[in-house]
Amino acid sequence: MADHVLQIEKLSKSFEGSQVFNNISFAVDQGELSSIIGPNGAGKTTLFNLMTGYHVPDSGRVVFMGKDIAGRQPYDIVRLGIARAFQRTNIFPRMSVLENLVSTVITKNRGNLNVVTPSAKLKSAHERSYEILESVGLADVAHRQSGTLAHGNQKRLDIAVALALEPQLLLLDEPTAGMSPEERWQTVELVQQLWENLKITMLFIEHDMDIVFKISQKVRVLCYRTLLAEGTPEEISSNEQVIEAYLGEEV
Amino acid sequence: MMVNARNSEASSGTARWLVGAVVVVALFALPFILSQLGRTGEYWIWVTTEMLIMALFAMSLNLILGYGGMVSFGHAAFFGVGAYTVALLMKKAGAPLVLALALAPVTAAIAAAVIGWFCVRLIGLYFAILTLAFGQLLYMVVFQWYTFTGGDDGIHGIPKPEILTPIAYYLLCLVLFLICFLVMRMIMNSSFGLTIRTIRENMERAKFIGVNVRRFQWYNFILAGAFAGLAGGLLCELNRFAQTEFLHWSKSAEPILASLVGGMYSLVGPAIGSAVLIFLKIIVQQAHPSLVETWAIFLGLILLVVVLFAPGGLVGLYQRLTGKSET
Repeated sequence: MADHVLQIEKLSKSFEGSQVFNNISFAVDQGELSSIIGPNGAGKTTLFNLMTGYHVPDSGRVVFMGKDIAGRQPYDIVRLGIARAFQRTNIFPRMSVLENLVSTVITKNRGNLNVVTPSAKLKSAHERSYEILESVGLADVAHRQSGTLAHGNQKRLDIAVALALEPQLLLLDEPTAGMSPEERWQTVELVQQLWENLKITMLFIEHDMDIVFKISQKVRVLCYRTLLAEGTPEEISSNEQVIEAYLGEEV
Repeated sequence: MMVNARNSEASSGTARWLVGAVVVVALFALPFILSQLGRTGEYWIWVTTEMLIMALFAMSLNLILGYGGMVSFGHAAFFGVGAYTVALLMKKAGAPLVLALALAPVTAAIAAAVIGWFCVRLIGLYFAILTLAFGQLLYMVVFQWYTFTGGDDGIHGIPKPEILTPIAYYLLCLVLFLICFLVMRMIMNSSFGLTIRTIRENMERAKFIGVNVRRFQWYNFILAGAFAGLAGGLLCELNRFAQTEFLHWSKSAEPILASLVGGMYSLVGPAIGSAVLIFLKIIVQQAHPSLVETWAIFLGLILLVVVLFAPGGLVGLYQRLTGKSET
């Protein structure tokens, strides 16, 4: 019980009368690398939005490290230790790759109210930023305008920005979306590597079943407005309900 | 490769300082040269003083417009509050100019804090409309409150200290302009400025790196209001009157147009745009008095050309010609 980083308790949410979730509950263990799968429109991203303060649940609780964070402001939740990378790349496009990181590091350290020191001269923030860029393999392009990077690198940068927040819980929304098969596996490797090195809890949404089953310790299936199943990759891939509802016959 | 980039960055930095130094020296020398030209020169000293003041006003708006990505249609409110602060303090309370000018940005900042507190709750067009509404509300208050503000008569005959010759006042405005420029530059290059830019670039992402977006937009709005207040106070003393027109929404358009023409993504862009527009307006007027009526047409044409051919404004054009990228 104590080592649950996150507990979702009886969460319900509807938009304009159509219900996305009804009474969902599950818990994420400390240090776990787990995934959420489900058909399009099952509400996977909405679930992330509820965890990070973008949406307010109609009822239920989102308990993070013992605190109910449902309905708190996104910036508040970030400060408590949940960071996310987005499905559609979400960076600061007209700023350099380095500035994307530096601004995040400054915010993480609550240094935004410094109106005197030029941000380009904040040495420790730059060192930290380079460190993170190294870890995701973007140090070479640190001075490029981030909006001009290839899609795969923009997704990496999005992850790097989330990492700069030093989260307890990192949410990755389809980290490989829109990538070539080669890039996909590079990203998967990166995610796994980061997870091993940083020892943080990671929860990701993914469509590619090969990826899901390869790296998740636990898989959760969202379907029919509820959590259809939860278990190890083996359990999920042999779960008849899941096969019928989502995976199809071929798996 | 990276070393090269750093070197050229450093050399372009020195070049920029050099250009800046030359411009500053020229600006200090300008009134003394103009004063040799008799009555025309005196007129141009007055015009260049107004240019400096309106350039400050345009730069103040650009803190929220260009750096913050917030389009305000009500920035004249703070310009007007600054102007009326100076007018009322000097005319009715007999305060010295220095005190009045020092308090102009303070009262403007207070007005910006109150108005901004509501406005930053909205974004985009809704924000713009609300700033317009508050601006016009303030305009109506000043217009109607005859006993305090003089209504549409304005406040005239603001005292002028003996030592303030036109040249001295020009120099005062220039020094204040330069100080404000350096302070704004310092702030926009700082962590605060970087935070403001992240909000402009991607407001949603800024929230998700932990920025309290509304609060920082509010701070920036107050800052912009304070600088606008100083500009208003300076124009009030230059004209020796304050009038409701200073608060009118059409006054809010001036720094927006100046920013478009000069370029929004740099600090000097709006200042240059402002000076260029004032200069062109006078040229048009002097070409033939009847052309005063048609200034709007000229302005429209200028904007058309800028938007179609130089979306980054004059500064953007300069950067394109010299091959420097914008930041």
